[in-house]
Amino acid sequence: MHRGVGLSRFDLRNRAISFWDMSKKKIVEFSRYPVAFVALFVQIFLIIAMFLFASLAFTPGGRASPAAGQQALGATVVYGFIVGLFLSFTLWEIGFSIREEQTRGTLESLYLSPASKVSSLVARVFAILLWSGAMAVMAIVFVGAVVGGLPTANVGLALLVLLFSISGFLGMGFIFAGVTIKLKETAQLLVNGLQFFFMIFSAQFFPFAALRQVSPLIVDGVSKWLPVSYCVDAFRSLLIGAEPELGLGMGAEILIVVAFGIVSPIVGYWIYKRLERGARIAGTLGEY
Amino acid sequence: MAAAAGSRGFGLGRPGWRARADVVRTVFVARIKIITRYKGAILMEALLPIVFAAMPVLLGTTVASQQGVDPGAVFCENTMVSGRCTTNFRLYMLIGASTFTVVSLMLWLIGYWVRREQETGTLESLALAPARRIWVLAGVTTYAFVRAMIAFVIAIALGSLIFQVNPFERGVATALAFLALGLLPLWGLSFMFGAFIMKIKEADSVIQVLQWVLAFLMGVFYPITLLPPIMQGVAGLFPPTVMTDAVRASILDISYFYGSAYGSLAVLFAMALIVPLLGYEVFEVTERRLRRKEGVGHY
Repeated sequence: MHRGVGLSRFDLRNRAISFWDMSKKKIVEFSRYPVAFVALFVQIFLIIAMFLFASLAFTPGGRASPAAGQQALGATVVYGFIVGLFLSFTLWEIGFSIREEQTRGTLESLYLSPASKVSSLVARVFAILLWSGAMAVMAIVFVGAVVGGLPTANVGLALLVLLFSISGFLGMGFIFAGVTIKLKETAQLLVNGLQFFFMIFSAQFFPFAALRQVSPLIVDGVSKWLPVSYCVDAFRSLLIGAEPELGLGMGAEILIVVAFGIVSPIVGYWIYKRLERGARIAGTLGEY
Repeated sequence: MAAAAGSRGFGLGRPGWRARADVVRTVFVARIKIITRYKGAILMEALLPIVFAAMPVLLGTTVASQQGVDPGAVFCENTMVSGRCTTNFRLYMLIGASTFTVVSLMLWLIGYWVRREQETGTLESLALAPARRIWVLAGVTTYAFVRAMIAFVIAIALGSLIFQVNPFERGVATALAFLALGLLPLWGLSFMFGAFIMKIKEADSVIQVLQWVLAFLMGVFYPITLLPPIMQGVAGLFPPTVMTDAVRASILDISYFYGSAYGSLAVLFAMALIVPLLGYEVFEVTERRLRRKEGVGHY
């Protein structure tokens, strides 16, 4: 606005500038809380280390087991975890940031600005996604160092899958932003529940074979119906260089992920707009 | 809360035992009333340890089956200490995750209580109330304890059904005794944690990272004997580790970290004496320092 939007229409340049300004605001906010950044970083390593220790307890020979077995195990944990990391931050950050604006009482005034609402939503998660990317790389390096290297086949294609996965997660984040406006504090519980749901049913920390062992119905009746499962499976299988576990073949899985990445933000934003409009009509947008 | 305590007639007089008990009760009831507005939170807290335990169980089962071995037998072999181990890894994980939830919730609820009071601007007024801080803290910690225990009981009951394990086969009374004794040092740790949050203010990130440090040190999914020796030493001095280890050892009939039930009991007893006093002292000193400088309500 201060850059002279006035009564003029927002062109691409203005949109880019306002998006960068909004993202920068989040980056500045993050920079004021360095402990939070360090904490996130430490947290990632602790979670991975804990699951590695836990899985070593089930590996014949424990820490003395063959390196290949440990590498496969480490790859399964860390690659699934990376997808889970992006999903978790996208789900949490957009809704949580909206909630913060509600609490501070700035959400209503923000909605009076001519800035794009999509940009406003994406900007809330942009900085943390960049940071997640850095954390993902460090997590791979860390686990690689612990287990003596990780398989990294098809990196380019895996990154493309990750990109579309993140786009799809953004759509889910938009929905939860809308749900947060409607449900307020309770929405965080829903996000928490959903996060656990995906952790288990999209097999983020273990192979899908584990769920199949419990009951094939879990994979066929639940996991296969979740686009997130295909994101995890395709990303992990591509990097490990193995056949995907969900049985559709790599081509089909990538297609599902791409479709998810395109359709989810559109549907998510549409749902968000409906919920937001409902709140504006009811006059509850900034209600805390 | 302060107003409620004040309205019960402290005036210039010193509050007696009845008034102190009333402060604890009032704070406790206020917190309980708040949480009844968010019923989903309690359900989620109860589900958390089950999800938490399910992940290593699923991961471990697959790892073992891929190698064509029985997961229980491998787990037993890898976690054997002094010739004793368990094949019941599901119950092992469930107990670990459930006690972790108790520890995490206690710290989380105290930390958030301090932070919330700071954010809403009521912490300073609370410091002006004639009630001594220890009674206010006792009310909050009792609430945290009740909430954590509700989550613990539901998690154990529901988790036992889901994982098809029986936690009541043996040693339940001993385990409950260890749990009860372990809660005393946990109270002290909660005070220290509250003081820490009051000072550094960034509650969210500290709580999040601390809960994973706790999970790592407590050996939620593995015996701490799997950790490197230095870390074992550090973990052994941490009260929740001793509590989790002792609860697990009594129910699963495996070895105790301190050699025997009496060894762990002695260590936990010493911790139960020292840590709460130390924790309260840390809280008071931190609060006093803050009051002399910028004030406790600084947000």
